[in-house]
Amino acid sequence: MSLWVDQYRPRSLEDLHYHHELSTRLRSLASLASSGDFPHMLFYGPSGAGKKTRITCTLKKLFGPGVEKLKIDQRVFLSPSRRKLEVNIVQSNFHIEITPSEAGNYDRVVIQELLKEIAQTQQVDLNAKQRFKVVIINEADSLSRDAQAALRRTMEKFMSNMRIILCANSTSRLIAPIKSRCLLMRVAAPNAEDMQAVMQHVSKRVGFDLPPDVASKIIDDSGGNLRKAILCLEALKMQSPDLSGVLTIAKPDWETYCHKVADLIISEQSPARIMEVRQKFYELLSHCIPPATILKTVADRVVERVDDAIKADVMHWAAVYEVRMRIGSKKIYHLEAWVVKVMSLYKHFFYGMDLTEFD
Amino acid sequence: MPARPSQRSASSTKSTGKSASQKRTTLKLEPSTANTKRESSSTPSSSKKKGKEKEVVKDPASAIPQRLNTQDKSQLWVDMYEPQSEVAELAVHVRKVENVRNWLRESLDGGPSGKLRKYRRVLVLTGPAGTAKSSTIRVLSEELKFEILEWKSSAGDTFVNAPDFITTSSWVSDDTMFTKFRLFLERASKCQNVFKTSPTPLSPYSSSSSSLNPTQTQRIILLEDLPNILHASIRSQFQDVIRSLIENADPDPVPIIIIVSDSGMRGEAGDERLLNGAWGHDDEGAFDIRSLLPKDILHGPYVEEIKFNPIAPTLLKKALQALLSRHFASQKSLITGQMLDTVVESANGDIRSAIMALQFACIRLSKKGKGANPQVLMESITRREQSLALFHLMGKVLYNKRKTDPSAPSATAKDIKKDQELDRTLEDLPALPPFLSEHDRKTSRVDVNTLYADSPIDSSLFSLYIHQNYTQFCVDVDECDGVADWLSWADSSGGEAWYQVNPYRFHLLALGTLHSLPTPVPRLNQKVCKPEFFDNLNKEKEAWEGVRDVRSWIVDQGSDNGWNISAWTPTAIATELGGVLRARDVTSSSMPSATRRVPTGHRAFSRLRFAYPKSDRKSIGGQPLNEGDNGEPYSDGAIMMEEQQEIGMWQNREERERDRVVNVADTGGWLESDDINYF
Repeated sequence: MSLWVDQYRPRSLEDLHYHHELSTRLRSLASLASSGDFPHMLFYGPSGAGKKTRITCTLKKLFGPGVEKLKIDQRVFLSPSRRKLEVNIVQSNFHIEITPSEAGNYDRVVIQELLKEIAQTQQVDLNAKQRFKVVIINEADSLSRDAQAALRRTMEKFMSNMRIILCANSTSRLIAPIKSRCLLMRVAAPNAEDMQAVMQHVSKRVGFDLPPDVASKIIDDSGGNLRKAILCLEALKMQSPDLSGVLTIAKPDWETYCHKVADLIISEQSPARIMEVRQKFYELLSHCIPPATILKTVADRVVERVDDAIKADVMHWAAVYEVRMRIGSKKIYHLEAWVVKVMSLYKHFFYGMDLTEFD
Repeated sequence: MPARPSQRSASSTKSTGKSASQKRTTLKLEPSTANTKRESSSTPSSSKKKGKEKEVVKDPASAIPQRLNTQDKSQLWVDMYEPQSEVAELAVHVRKVENVRNWLRESLDGGPSGKLRKYRRVLVLTGPAGTAKSSTIRVLSEELKFEILEWKSSAGDTFVNAPDFITTSSWVSDDTMFTKFRLFLERASKCQNVFKTSPTPLSPYSSSSSSLNPTQTQRIILLEDLPNILHASIRSQFQDVIRSLIENADPDPVPIIIIVSDSGMRGEAGDERLLNGAWGHDDEGAFDIRSLLPKDILHGPYVEEIKFNPIAPTLLKKALQALLSRHFASQKSLITGQMLDTVVESANGDIRSAIMALQFACIRLSKKGKGANPQVLMESITRREQSLALFHLMGKVLYNKRKTDPSAPSATAKDIKKDQELDRTLEDLPALPPFLSEHDRKTSRVDVNTLYADSPIDSSLFSLYIHQNYTQFCVDVDECDGVADWLSWADSSGGEAWYQVNPYRFHLLALGTLHSLPTPVPRLNQKVCKPEFFDNLNKEKEAWEGVRDVRSWIVDQGSDNGWNISAWTPTAIATELGGVLRARDVTSSSMPSATRRVPTGHRAFSRLRFAYPKSDRKSIGGQPLNEGDNGEPYSDGAIMMEEQQEIGMWQNREERERDRVVNVADTGGWLESDDINYF
């Protein structure tokens, strides 16, 4: 009983429901590949837009059904300080897929070792449609600078045996040399009609009728994240099998939690409150919610609730501390520093004090 | 007994000659396990004693005059007054000695039931340097009448005997040294001594004499001078050897005692090493039992760890007094009570250093006569690193005392006078121009450079402590803003690469905090707490375990050839899957087959309940820091965890495997009814 998201995921470029021009383009690229002409690619777009689906479909187009035979390997790498790093690698005969963020700060080692190894081996399968192998790098925007620099050299050097497909949420965290070496593929979030169509398709495959208003409610709530929408549908269906009555689309726990944290920040500004907010942040972090997501969700909520005059400042500082969070190692400091900054701003605004000194 | 003093003094004579002339005569340690010992341990006994022993009080009275006559001037008191046979002489807490004694009894005789022997294979003694770990064992060996087989690396000899060999010897020796070590262990644990040793207590230094008593002496193996286990391959070899010794079912095992002194986690070590261009965080520096033995051995049934604490000031003082009264038996002691107090205070529970300081003071005092100022002298002798306790460090920073601050109500007259004196030495800072007037502060009484030099913790931990506690010391959100911003800035100022920690982080943090805190800090009975950071890191790690389980569950479910695994990144699972998982939890309770169920691990991340803070609760959180706490305030493994954070939460396979086993074992009980009611 796999998840609907997985079960009804399109398998080929033809099955895709939206972004048809993109699919056509990918098809033509893939057909070009037999003449040895296939670029490195960078897929980017918000989560739940269908990047991975499109990548896998393209792979299937490139290599045929053989690419669906996957195995998971555990590979061990040695960090410079001789610590062992274990990284899960998904691979078929034709491609290999890594999530370098699993290796944390040592992602450079993993990228280098792995790419070198693949680049140095030739495809030996005579039936293989393409002579090159494909390396998929997930969450490429979380690669460290070091790793990106390492990647850049490799991309130039080993073009003959290997193509790289990067998958990222945003290109802004990738260094320019990498962007310029890739063919950029933007996968935008689907619009409401596209999502409606997909949801109807899924419900038909599962075998029930999905009232359009329920679907649109879910869609409204999902913010263009199709995966989230389908998961939500599945959860809803499980809770009330007939999809009738008053349906409350439950937000994920952590989202509500973040909103309540924002309310805490606004309702009181004192050192004691800072400690309480810190507890909440610790709680969120220990539930594996990425700190950047926490900051964004809380900041969005705070901005909704404060006066126009300080909205810009709140977001400005959120951006500042988000950058610091990315560089630094102890996330809680930066989250908290932002909270304190907002509290201070809010308080000063409240007492009508001059704000110029905070710029 | 009558044989001993003379024997002992014979050995002392030799070592005296040695330490005086720096030439090493070799005191043959008669090999107790035939040739192994011979090849490995012709180390002079004093080279050992010099560093490792701490003696406390007295020797049998008969020995004293002899010693005083011959070796008064040149021998170290540490060697002269090492306790020999009486437990009462040890400055260790009685209960600690009792623990060790019990273990030894059980390992030698099997305890009351006679069955424990099997499990008493390895005893690990840990603790800071100078806490009488080795002395305890030696004294107990007298008391319980067992023989100590001790491994001594001969590397030191090579250096001394062949100075021109220095450049190469360290390279040559590693491997062969280890082979010797292994042979030593194997033979020592298996073979009986050909020359049966006499049951009469002998000084362990001349360990076995040639007495031909047929009764068998019980033996233990003492490992104090370990092979170079900082070297990764040597370490794994070492672990293999220990493991194989533990695991073989010898009916008559020889217990092994490993003594490891915790090397001080010297404050800025991390930063400084990085400054020098060194790479890794790990492997270097902190060498302790956790790096010596892997977890499964250390926590296994065969190994027991006994931690020695720094010696309590009262015990230390008593021991020193006894030592002095013995030393100055006939004359007036040069050391005054106040000086003794200074020594005790500055020793931080390290009895060896205390005795050294005493001896040094005596020498200086007797030379200079009355002219020297004892106060100055004591200060120069007792100044040690690491003498600023964490508790005081935090107090200094967080109370942010500045010139002319009124004293705390609890301050004694002495403290007030001290403060005033300090104020007199502080210069007033030039006034800032008007547009910077908000940054105007009085001169701080805290000297950050001294603080840095004396800090027992590194800057990362320091920042965690500040982070945990600063809010209590702030009156206003703006002050908090200053501190929080500094914390954030210092944490992220290292640059792009992960290994570049800002070398000035400690200073920046201390100064930034001092600047931001209100002056004076209101005294509200604040309690400094230990950082909660590590607990939460632990929780996060567990939650990632859950994510991992769910991911492998998805892979299993993706029946048709697992085509979909790749789409699920850990983050996506953690943030988006919660709802479905919870819904599944409810519905799947009726499902018969366990394999279809979602692994319960997901609850670690999918559930998050918000509890509004109670207004009456004063949420300082955390565990209060005590005066006695030293640089290692966190429970075991915090360092590891911090490193782990650097590597990424996803990495931790060993534990994952272990947890999985546990999970499987619990299969029956994972959906309790109250869990379901939850929804």
